[in-house]
Formats: sequence, C-alpha cells, structure tokens
Amino acid sequence: MTPTEIAVAVLIAGGVFFTFVAGVGLLRLPDVYTRTHSASKSDTLGAGLALAAVAVTFGADLPTVKAALLVLFMFVTNPTAAHAIARAAADQGIEPWTVDDDESGGGNE
Amino acid sequence: MSGGSSLLVPVEDSVTLRQTVAHAVGRARDADGAVTLHFVCPVSERPLGGEDSAVAGEAEELLDRVAVWADEDLGEEPTRVTVETAVVGADVYLFNPGDYADVLVAYARRNDVDTVVLDPEFNPLGMAPLLPPLERELEGAGLAVELAPVDRATRRGPLTRPAGLDQFALLFGSTFGFYLLIAGTLTPFNLATGAVTATIVAAVLRRISTQGSVELGQLAGRVARMVVYVPYLLWEIVKANVDIAKVVLHPRLPIDPAVVEFDAAVWSELPATTLANSITLTPGTLTVDVTQRHFTVHSLTKGARSDLLAGSLERAVRFVFYGRTAMRLPTPAERGETPDGSVDGAGTDEPEEVRSAVERVEVDADSGGGDE
Repeated sequence: MTPTEIAVAVLIAGGVFFTFVAGVGLLRLPDVYTRTHSASKSDTLGAGLALAAVAVTFGADLPTVKAALLVLFMFVTNPTAAHAIARAAADQGIEPWTVDDDESGGGNE
Repeated sequence: MSGGSSLLVPVEDSVTLRQTVAHAVGRARDADGAVTLHFVCPVSERPLGGEDSAVAGEAEELLDRVAVWADEDLGEEPTRVTVETAVVGADVYLFNPGDYADVLVAYARRNDVDTVVLDPEFNPLGMAPLLPPLERELEGAGLAVELAPVDRATRRGPLTRPAGLDQFALLFGSTFGFYLLIAGTLTPFNLATGAVTATIVAAVLRRISTQGSVELGQLAGRVARMVVYVPYLLWEIVKANVDIAKVVLHPRLPIDPAVVEFDAAVWSELPATTLANSITLTPGTLTVDVTQRHFTVHSLTKGARSDLLAGSLERAVRFVFYGRTAMRLPTPAERGETPDGSVDGAGTDEPEEVRSAVERVEVDADSGGGDE
C-alpha cells in the first residue's frame, strides 16, 4: 500500500467509526436532546472524515475543492439543523431527561 | 346570524393586542344596529395531548382575558354589541398563512362575518411575516380586512437595509468566485453565465445579505483570524467527539445531561450565530436557544459543561470578530456563571474591570458588528 492509500484507509475507518457511534448513540441515549447530540455531531465528524478521504484520493484537484466546500456547508448546516430540532423540542415544552429520572423510572437500558 | 353585522378579530398574545381589542370594541359600538364581535384564537401548534393540551389551555386563557377587556371597554351601559370567543384550528395543523386564512374564512362563513380586524402584531408563525399574505388571502375570500390602528410601532426592524455599490461589489465578487470555483473552468461560456448570475444575485439580494457598511480592512482581518480559528475548532471537535464516543460506547452509559444558561460575551448577530453553531458542533453541547446574548445550552456530560463555561470557544469567537484585545475578557465561569444554570450575581454585579472591558468591546462591536 502506498502512503496515500494508507491515509485514505485510516480516514475512511475513522469516518465509519464515528458514524457508527452516532447510530449507537441514537439507539442508546434516552431523550430527544441527547439523541440530537449523537445524531448531529458524531455524524458531522464521520462525514467530514469520509470527505477528507475523498480529498486525499483526488489530491490537488477540483474535486478536492468541492469536497472541502461540502465539509464547510455541512459544518454550517448541521449544527443549524440540530439547533432547530432542539429548539422545537424546547418550544413544545419537552423536559430534558436527567439522571434523577433514571433512578425513579428504573432505567432505560 | 343576528341579522346585524359581525366583526372577526383573530387574537394572539402580542404587545398591541389590548389596543386592537379596544379599537374593535369602539368600532362595534359606533356602528348602527346590532354587532357581534368574534374574537378567535387560531391554535398555532399541533396539540399533543388531545383537547386538554397546554396550547389549547393558553388559548382559552387568552380569550378569557380578551373577553374581560372587551367587557371593560363596553362599559356599564347596555349596548347592542355581543362578544363571542372561540378557538379555531385546533384540529388541523396550521403551517402557513394560507392555513390561517382557511380556518378564519371557514369561521367567518359559519358566523356571517363580513369584516376582519387585524392586530398589526398578529404573527403566530413567529419568524416569517404572516400579515401581508394573510390579508391577501382573506380579501381573496371576499372579506373586508382592516388593520387596527395602534400606537406602538412594530418592533421588527426592516428586512432590507440601505445598500450601495460596495455591498453590490462584495456580493458580486463572492458569487462570481463561487460560481467559477464550482464550474472549474474559465471558458468564455462559464465567465459569461457566471457574470450574469452574479449580477442578478447581487442586484436582488444586496439589501438583504449584507449588514451595515463593508470595511474591507476589517473584513480581511476577520477572514484571516477565521483561518486560524477553523483548525482550532476542528481540533476541539475531534477531541470532544472522542470523549462522546467513549461515553456512548461505555457499557453503563455514564451521561449526566443538564441545561446550562449563560450570558455570552459576544455582541451582534454574526458572532452570536458563530458561537452558537460552534457550541453545537462541539459534541457534548447543543445550543437550544439564543436570545440576544443569552444562551441556553443542553450538555450531555459534566465535562462538556465545564469546558463550555471555561469559555475557550467563546474566547476564540471573540478573537475572530473583535481581535486580540477581546480575548482577555474573563471566561463565563469567572463571570460567575455556574453549571447548575443559576447565575451568581452576573449581569448587574459584574466586577468593575469586567464591565469596562465589556463596554470597550461593545463600542468596537457597534462600529461595525457583523458584516459579511
């Protein structure tokens, strides 16, 4: 394997790992707010690493610029969407889950 | 129904509602013949818990208040004015001005209403302007629409701002550059279509997308500092992501979520937006709401909370927008913000040196806060 291929493999593996963590978090975490944490953030890094792998594959070429722009837009839109979800939840009066709920409610996991 | 005329007044909790009610009552009293006043409250959210939901309850409460006001305005003397109140739209999901118009028109048809009196601040949609399209829809359905004259000016600033040649040039330049970047080649065709597109975009949007005057020096400084900020933010994101991955994959799921509220030391829209998005991007913290400088942040773990209040992100955002001097401001924790959400004496009792430093930056920010 050339150094480029190794770099691409590492980046892809990282991307897959963080996307996987996002999925696990979505299943394990207790309420809408904590799940939004997982779904929006780990995902950003996962997709970011995947796009970084794309950039490394193409080298100094136009697709790299486009991949960089994609990352940029994702970093602007992803937190905005997460914020919109959290704010909508707060506007609906959904109370955030706390550790106390778990003790009284007998645990979710 | 009553043979006389009827007035329909859609109500929503607004600063000018009281005056609107007074106007409608006065108008009804001055009219010849019997008048029925219909105050209706469109329930703007999907009720979650059936008919007893909190939203419907609030609507009823508001209508009770309006009925009391109307009685007050009608006074003791017998009049030929009847007051009726109703909640409408509770069974449908009201999403856009057309939906509001539909439920109001349906109510008007059922009750022989010919005139609608609108509160100038009536805007249950929150952000998008509802009134002009609503007026058009209601008029299209054959109803007379009038706006209640109220003293208080609307508090929303105008959407457009005065813009001159430099705003046009900035917008044209960035649009053209982006177009060519995506096109990837400098063929005459791309140059021509790009120039046309950029001209249209800049001409149409220059009053909306730019804010204040463009100062190239300041803008260049901000862009340069942004270039320093982005790698720092990326590093923070990676670090925090690893922490969160540990927590999520941990067998016992050691989370301790809580909501933190604090006043951030950033001013004007763009820095606040940047900080809010940076907080959300950093795993473990999620911006729920921002009002002016007041941030409501949901945090997943204790560590994320203390990192947030240690204020390194806030400091970095200040560095980008206000320069190096603003970095020396105290952190949220030093300003007396505590992780449990209560604020020990911050705001009114900020120490003197904090206050003066804050004011200095505020002056800087006012001179050109947030152009982009």
